Amino acid sequence: MAENGEEKLLAVARHIAKTLGHNESMADDILQIFSTFDGRFSREKLSEDQPSEEDGSSSGVAVLDRALNSLDSQISRFIAADQPIWSDPADSAAFLDAIDELVNITREWSHLSSEKPIGLCLSRAEDMTQQAMFRIEEEFRSLMDQGTESFPVNHRFDSEEEDEEDEDEEYRNEDDSQIPVAQPLTDYDLIIDALSSATINDLHEITKRMLAAGFGKACSHVYSGSRREFLEESMSRLGLQKLSIEDVHKMQWQELEDEIDRWIKAANVALRILFPSERRLCDRVFFGFSSAADLSFMEVCRGSTIQLLNFADAIAIGSRSPERLFKVLDVFETMRDLMGEFESVFSDQFCLVLRNEAVTIWKRLGEAVRGIFMELENLIRRDPAKAAVPGGGLHPITRYVMNYLRAACRSRQTLEQVFEESNGVPSKDSTLLTVQMSWIMELLESNLEVKSKVYKDPALSYVFLMNNGRYIVQKVRDGELGVLLGEDWIRKHNAKVKQYHMSYQRSSWSKMIGLLKVDNAAAGMNGLGKVMKEKLKEFNMQFEEVCKAHSTWVVFDEQLREELRISLAKLLLPAYGNFIGRFQNLGDIGKNADRYIKFGVEDIEARVNELFKGTTTARK
Amino acid sequence: MPVTDFQGTFGRSLLSFRRDQVDSNTVLTGTSPNMDAELDSFQRQVAERFIDLNASSSGVELLSLEWIGNLLDSFLCCQEEFRAIVFNHRSQISTSPMNRLISDYYERSIKALDVCNAIRDGIEQIRQWQKLSDIVISALDSHRPVGEGQLRRAKKALIDLAIGMLDEKDASSSTTSLAHRNRSFGRAKDNHNRSMGHFRSLSWSVSRSWSASKQLQALASNLTTPKQNDVAASNGLALPVYTMTSVLLFVMWVLVAAIPCQDRGLQVNFFVPRQFQWAAPVMSLHDKIVEESKRRERKNCCGLLKEIGRIEKSSRVMNELVDSIHFPMSEEKESEVKQRVEELVEVHEALKNGLDPFERKVREVFHRIVRSRTESLDSLC
Repeated sequence: MAENGEEKLLAVARHIAKTLGHNESMADDILQIFSTFDGRFSREKLSEDQPSEEDGSSSGVAVLDRALNSLDSQISRFIAADQPIWSDPADSAAFLDAIDELVNITREWSHLSSEKPIGLCLSRAEDMTQQAMFRIEEEFRSLMDQGTESFPVNHRFDSEEEDEEDEDEEYRNEDDSQIPVAQPLTDYDLIIDALSSATINDLHEITKRMLAAGFGKACSHVYSGSRREFLEESMSRLGLQKLSIEDVHKMQWQELEDEIDRWIKAANVALRILFPSERRLCDRVFFGFSSAADLSFMEVCRGSTIQLLNFADAIAIGSRSPERLFKVLDVFETMRDLMGEFESVFSDQFCLVLRNEAVTIWKRLGEAVRGIFMELENLIRRDPAKAAVPGGGLHPITRYVMNYLRAACRSRQTLEQVFEESNGVPSKDSTLLTVQMSWIMELLESNLEVKSKVYKDPALSYVFLMNNGRYIVQKVRDGELGVLLGEDWIRKHNAKVKQYHMSYQRSSWSKMIGLLKVDNAAAGMNGLGKVMKEKLKEFNMQFEEVCKAHSTWVVFDEQLREELRISLAKLLLPAYGNFIGRFQNLGDIGKNADRYIKFGVEDIEARVNELFKGTTTARK
Repeated sequence: MPVTDFQGTFGRSLLSFRRDQVDSNTVLTGTSPNMDAELDSFQRQVAERFIDLNASSSGVELLSLEWIGNLLDSFLCCQEEFRAIVFNHRSQISTSPMNRLISDYYERSIKALDVCNAIRDGIEQIRQWQKLSDIVISALDSHRPVGEGQLRRAKKALIDLAIGMLDEKDASSSTTSLAHRNRSFGRAKDNHNRSMGHFRSLSWSVSRSWSASKQLQALASNLTTPKQNDVAASNGLALPVYTMTSVLLFVMWVLVAAIPCQDRGLQVNFFVPRQFQWAAPVMSLHDKIVEESKRRERKNCCGLLKEIGRIEKSSRVMNELVDSIHFPMSEEKESEVKQRVEELVEVHEALKNGLDPFERKVREVFHRIVRSRTESLDSLC
């Protein structure tokens, strides 16, 4: 529509010139007057075709000279203006038109630049272009800064234009919805328009002129300087500090945990909202100049991206202390989840470096996770077997490692990924994470075996191994860890606990059970009675001793404790019952049997039920 | 280039070795003639590299981008050889005093990582100057005669460049006067409060309080030649650790000397006793660079890199030339402008071609330091 209206206007102007002008030069003068009147009536637009008389170069120079004079007066007026030219849309349009015409004239005449008078004119045109470019660069800068510094001002500025014809519906809608109000972020799927559409259009118009006049570098420089500052401020508002690797390493872990949380938020906002918004802005301002757009975008985002990546890198090369696993996994997962964004937002050639850095650092975080597991291995392997846990109870390391692994397995999929990245070779039926986990279990078990040797009583060693073994199986069974290690593993380890159980029984009860065996072939009645009496005495003493000791031992798992007692009762009671039955039927001695029988079968059972209750200190 | 020679052999993570180690802690203890030869060879190789770097016959100018690139290559080679030694004697690395010495080295190497990052910022800074010099060139390097407009544009870029290249420390005082000069170019009144914005340099990726000079001092602190009993107890392994630490410190010191970075400063106590084969060439380079930093025209510069000096000089001369031009320009002036532009183009090209590979090399140094440390942590398991 606007285009059409202008056409009409120009046609009318040309008509007036033709009818009023009695000859060519008069008409030309009239057009000249028009052209100085308003930017819309530029010389170039008013002339329908190229002036055909330009071959006569002396008159050509005159035309050129006149055109330049007219443009000079317009442009100088703008350059001298104290007010920003873009504060008045009519002014800015006229200024742009003047520049366009200047560029066109220069282009049209450049093939004649070897002719001295024309060459001089062109050099003057060049000067004018340069001066106009200085000014337009300032205008560009101030539009950029206005847009970012104070949105409300910009908004008011825009509303003045509201009734201008170039306001379209879409713009008004956008403008209404884009007033920045801090709202809790639930969805990253949004784009911020830091500059209004009108400002973006203005910037784009300026960009076109600057690039056409060979001021592309300057334009991109101003653009990225301003946007970079905006981005940096956004990052610091997100709570992100500028930290060196050493700063990160010196930080207290708790403080660092908070910093990581802030980083995760900032990285998401940056990659999902801020950078894509910058990309869009850049593409709009530099529309049609993709190389300039790519370069400017890289310059805008480079610093902030490096700041984000440096922090992740510092975490990756930081301490490998196992308690850090969970936070490092968070950082790893954030990077992993943002890889798509890195790929898409930094897809151009200038950003290739940033994209590659992101991949490198992501991989390094994977290495860090593997490193933490190695550190865990060290911790287990080097855990000294100094003080024995009283009563053969649960060792803190068992508790720590098992709960740690269970917690870690909540991120099983991530861990699978991390270990697939390592150099190991997975076998057919197990993943590398499975290999890793079984390896840690193996280390834990062999460490516990070493620790079990600290107990002087081998029976207590078995109780210790039984307790810890039972705990391990329990913790494995009902979680992701069990899925990883597999049924077979669980079965084997259950069998192992059983074996410890048997070994325990054998080491402390076999001898006693042996005492209760009666050899019928042994000497006569008298001799047998004597032997049995001795055996019973021995049994009583041993039983008393064992019960006294074993009742202070601990079996933390009730079911296991029950199993132990039942199996002991099964072993002990029939043999004992049988023994004292025989003993009571042994004639003389039998009559006085009660003098020797210290425990009834019920007493034995009761005493067995008292076993493994532990002392108060051992039970905890 | 020998840089890559070792990669194939040792590039693999040491992951697969740690498992065997549980049962076999007995490998490779005690010294052997082989080991003596290995350690000797390391000392000799380090010395040879620095002798090469010191040789003026090579045609590579001290502190040029190419020279520093060579220095970084040498560092990477030394680092690879050092890695090989650490790997070969990994069983000793976990025992005293080697565990202490080696973890000290890796602690220091972490500090070097921050220097590498600061240098990366510095390279970006140089790129900004490159852009300004590009504007100067495109304004003046036309086939048409230079007009007033182009001259004005060149002048503006030259002043921006001069401000950009001031060392931060004296920047605050000098910027104001230069900024004042440049203000006349933008006539809009509301420009005053924003005029400094034109010259805003890139911000650094570390906090304002970070100091390259302090970082170097931390990197160098308590670095002493290994004690006799440590050398004996480590079967001589203490020596390559000291050598590598010194090489690391020296390389970082050169980077800070050459490239702009936050709070540059070269006051680091760096001294290597003569008995080391590499001491003489390293100390000689050190002294040359210190001397260079004391030269009058480089005293307040923002980096001793040859190309920076050249661009600084070239733009200064150009600035004076531009000031002296009156229109119409004499033929003599015109040809002088052409000549100066050619000079600037030459430096500009050198930077354009040299900066990207240089930045990659600095990054490579960073990654290698990290990898070497990671591997050593892995093998200490």
